[in-house]
Amino acid sequence: MSGTTGAPMVATEAQAMTAPTGAVPPGSPIRRVGVVGAGVMGAGIAAQVANAGIPVVLLDIVAGGAARAVQAMLRAEPAPFMHRGAARLVTAGDLGGDLALLAGCDWIIEAIIEQPEAKRALYAQLDAVRKPGSILSSNTSTIPLAALVEGRGDSFAMDFLITHFFNPPRYMRLLEMVRGPATRAEAVAAISEFADRSLGKTVIPCKDRPGFIANRIGGLWMQSAINRAIDLGLTVEEADALMSRPIGVPKTGVFGLLDLVGIDLMPHVAASMKATLPGTDPYVQGLREHAVILKMIAEGRTGRKAKGGFYTRVKGADGESLKRALDLTTGEYRESETPRLESLSLRDLRAQATHPDRGGRYLRAVLLDLLGYAASLVPEIADSVADVDAAMRLGYNWKYGPFELIDRLGAAWLARALAEDGRPVPPLLARLGEGSFYRVEAGVLEYFGTDGDYHPVPRPAGVLLLADVKRRGQPLARNGSASLWDIGDGVACLEFHSKMNAIDPDTLAMLGKSVAMGKQGAFKALVIHTEGEQFSVGANIGLALFAANIAAWGEIESMVEGGQKAMRALRAAPFPVVGAPSGMALGGGCEVLLHCAAVQAHAETYIGLVEAGVGLIPGWGGCTTMLRRWAENPRAPKGPMPPVAKAFEMISTAQVAKSAFEAKEMLLLRQTDGITFNHDRLLADAKARALAMIEGHVPPETRPLRLPGASGRAALRLAVEQQAALGRVTPHDRVVCDTLAETLTGGRRDHTEETPEAEVLALERKGFMALLRTPATLARVEHMLETGRPLRN
Amino acid sequence: MTDVVIAAYRRSPFHFAHKGELVKLRPDEMAAQVVRALVADTGIDPATVEDLVLGCAFPEGEQGLNAAKLIAFIAGLPESMGGTTVNRFCGSSMQAVHQAAGAIHMGAGDAFLCAGVESMSRVPMMGFNPMPHPGLAERYPQAYISMGETAENVARRYQLTRAEQDGFAVRSHAKAAAAQREGRLEAEITPVEVAGKPVAQDGCIRPETSAEGLGGLKPAFRQDGSVTAGTASPLTDGAVALLVCSAEYARSHGLTPLAKVKSVAVAGCAPEVMGMGPVEATRKALARAGIAARDLDVVELNEAFASQALACLRELGIEEAKVNLDGGAIALGHPLGATGARITGKAAQLLQREGGRYALATQCIGGGQGIATVLEAV
Repeated sequence: MSGTTGAPMVATEAQAMTAPTGAVPPGSPIRRVGVVGAGVMGAGIAAQVANAGIPVVLLDIVAGGAARAVQAMLRAEPAPFMHRGAARLVTAGDLGGDLALLAGCDWIIEAIIEQPEAKRALYAQLDAVRKPGSILSSNTSTIPLAALVEGRGDSFAMDFLITHFFNPPRYMRLLEMVRGPATRAEAVAAISEFADRSLGKTVIPCKDRPGFIANRIGGLWMQSAINRAIDLGLTVEEADALMSRPIGVPKTGVFGLLDLVGIDLMPHVAASMKATLPGTDPYVQGLREHAVILKMIAEGRTGRKAKGGFYTRVKGADGESLKRALDLTTGEYRESETPRLESLSLRDLRAQATHPDRGGRYLRAVLLDLLGYAASLVPEIADSVADVDAAMRLGYNWKYGPFELIDRLGAAWLARALAEDGRPVPPLLARLGEGSFYRVEAGVLEYFGTDGDYHPVPRPAGVLLLADVKRRGQPLARNGSASLWDIGDGVACLEFHSKMNAIDPDTLAMLGKSVAMGKQGAFKALVIHTEGEQFSVGANIGLALFAANIAAWGEIESMVEGGQKAMRALRAAPFPVVGAPSGMALGGGCEVLLHCAAVQAHAETYIGLVEAGVGLIPGWGGCTTMLRRWAENPRAPKGPMPPVAKAFEMISTAQVAKSAFEAKEMLLLRQTDGITFNHDRLLADAKARALAMIEGHVPPETRPLRLPGASGRAALRLAVEQQAALGRVTPHDRVVCDTLAETLTGGRRDHTEETPEAEVLALERKGFMALLRTPATLARVEHMLETGRPLRN
Repeated sequence: MTDVVIAAYRRSPFHFAHKGELVKLRPDEMAAQVVRALVADTGIDPATVEDLVLGCAFPEGEQGLNAAKLIAFIAGLPESMGGTTVNRFCGSSMQAVHQAAGAIHMGAGDAFLCAGVESMSRVPMMGFNPMPHPGLAERYPQAYISMGETAENVARRYQLTRAEQDGFAVRSHAKAAAAQREGRLEAEITPVEVAGKPVAQDGCIRPETSAEGLGGLKPAFRQDGSVTAGTASPLTDGAVALLVCSAEYARSHGLTPLAKVKSVAVAGCAPEVMGMGPVEATRKALARAGIAARDLDVVELNEAFASQALACLRELGIEEAKVNLDGGAIALGHPLGATGARITGKAAQLLQREGGRYALATQCIGGGQGIATVLEAV
């Protein structure tokens, strides 16, 4: 890591060569990026640029600050870097001495303190060193572009725009972009293209208004949710329960979110909005100082970073962690309570918002504030309601944008409710009348425009969404857990849609059916892709537990065998099968990918064979495939043990790759597999890969393995004993490890003879079944289903 | 009988495996560079050398085949010279000296290049394909016990506290740092070239090592143990070469010997306390030399772990003041196959430098044995 510490070191070409470059299209005008300001945002943006394989210069005003930021990021969780190699692409330096490093940059991003004077002073410096035609942008979250270009020349204004990333920059998909009247169209196009394809962001054009889209609306929502909770006497738990699941907001709700981002941030945001918005704006009108919050800030109870905010945790008498919540009236902590409101138990949003209890009244009040405000801001802050909704979904992780929420409530109901309360009905809402903001017309999703007409929700060129495919027609085949769709050009898409996309007998049946249909010529290539957050969390262990509890061992074994058959059929398909995962691909979900002819993975894919966590071993060919991959890896040492040792280490510790790049290092993905940064482009990229593979596609041969047998098992046992001496192995870990060792070493085989694949698969089944019959494994499964966490028994 | 002498001693700098400056240097190339430098420095005609005897603990991969003969080719030594690779784990290159001494005594040659090498970066400890005998592993698992476990067993058996072990490691680093600072290591180190750049300095020594710093480390091998990464020798890359010859050969080639080999010994012990191997081996070697431990002026005792080094000194009644004057393996590093030649060469060099009559070089060996060499001033 010498390139990230001490004196600045420029990333060499050789380093750049070893870094992943798949995310950067050839001919991209952005080949080197500069970031000034190594705070959380600046450093995080630099890391994401490096993740994309682009060399990046990171400068800070404080001497050594950038190098320290890089070091801190290597230890941070969630990790800003997708793999350690990415950090080598970051050249850290000081603004004082290393300004000249920016001369080679095609795009320079400013991410310093939110003070217009400081930013303008920096721009004067940057303007002096940057190369002609290079693009400059600010990561400001509140300052209008007009104020930033003040005093600079025309050439600066032509090359300048605002690119507002969300925290953390690696994980949040929104990029708000503001162009000035003078900004060059090519600059906008170049940054949009780079941010979209290389950084994986959805670029939403915003008007030059304070807070742009997401923070303007999100800020008002938080303000309203706090004000109304205090006015109506709700507890923080009640407010958060209502401000989360009912409206599709993450479970932190509002107070939990404030704990996460830092309560002390509130006065800064409020001051900035007050300074830039007119006094008549509802945001400014609603600004209030709450004594309870001022007291918290004064006492340093600013949230999770300070070990306490609206929620805190204390050690109980038995050392257990107890959750406590702040009483908004007294400002003191009390035991946290599960909210019990009738309005919370209802399913329908409008029914909830019209319920007479204080929860219903609260929900109605906040929704009227939020949705009335959002409807009044189009076209002030954005050209379309679709852009506003996308910004809120991607920038705040809301499931629904405000206009989608209005459709759930009914636009006419909202207009009437606003009128009943004597509040203005926004013109856009009034114009919509009894209609809805979205509709599907001839299979195309359309939104209601400010011109009073419906327009198709635009998709960038080359984007293919399964949701759009699904609106257009019926699946080729469907059951309760999976569907098969025609995505055009002779390519089909197999989609999982059970809970968490867990794999059950229906999923396996659809896998088998898909292969059969492909063999009959229904399509020429298959993509396996799911649109939800997770690709698949693995086999449905709830079903396995149920079957074990009634001792239906035969049924379980036939499900294991059925899974193996389905996976083998997938691999042997005479047409290309391309996995297109994003999010978690664990256990059986991972095994599906291991049997695809190729994988095009979203960069944010978390793959792993995690069966050991529930006291099992991979039973659908996961062990066999990992042995084969390591045996065939030209960089691994030869001999019978290295593949076994590698597979054993990974599977016994239930390692999960924390990015697609890490998955390649672990051989869960092949070197030839592709990585897509923009989630919306994943299906199109996978389809293109599948189409390219059709001609001359030959399924892989299944050559036998050469496994070390009892000697190898003895070696693995010794390794486990060493870990046990360090207290890292529980009693049942030993049992699981021993079963895994027997499977991976080929049982009674000797390394002088070949072990047919079918024999290793039989060992997988035998090991899986033996473990499932142990009470300790069943306890692990039960615990995982109940708590979502592994049991260390 | 013909006297056998250590006529010359050279070694590469020692560096941490996986993160040091020798990671990218193949072990055969590293050893060849050191052997070539030794031959050049002594000015001998390599055609007069009988054999190149190479110690290596994991002779596979780039240390594989018959590495000794290959190293002779890489070093440009004449085809007429033999080459043999010997393995006694950590004692491998001391064994090379013993083998050469025995051959000289029986008239099977006059001059031998005794070398040792280990790249623990490039060939892992346990090798690429560890495949223990399953029956033995079941019946007698200590045959394959990890070295760290043995160090814990010794610490427990001899009731060595964490503080005692930490203190020993601090002293090892302090002695090595002083030797480095005062240029006392220059006489033995020959720079090696890695990708066109010379590496001339040891890389494992940490002059800033303190008891407080070591006190913060977690046990490395047993949850409730006392042995840490700071009181164990590090995984190391390095190579060593000695010229072992008859006194007559040295005289006729104008060489000034460092010391003569007085006696040698090996002895087995229980594998679970392999660190105590030097005790019996030393007793045997001292008896064969007809001297007692108190007669020793200089001692090189390999510091595989602080616990076993302290326990061996206690058992043998050797004062620490005589031991590892320029630091030991905890500070300098322990490239398994190379260490035996290093401490034998070092003991000979120290005997000449410090004066005195007898020196001892001894070390413990994984699997349960010890090896010792008694040297006498010339």
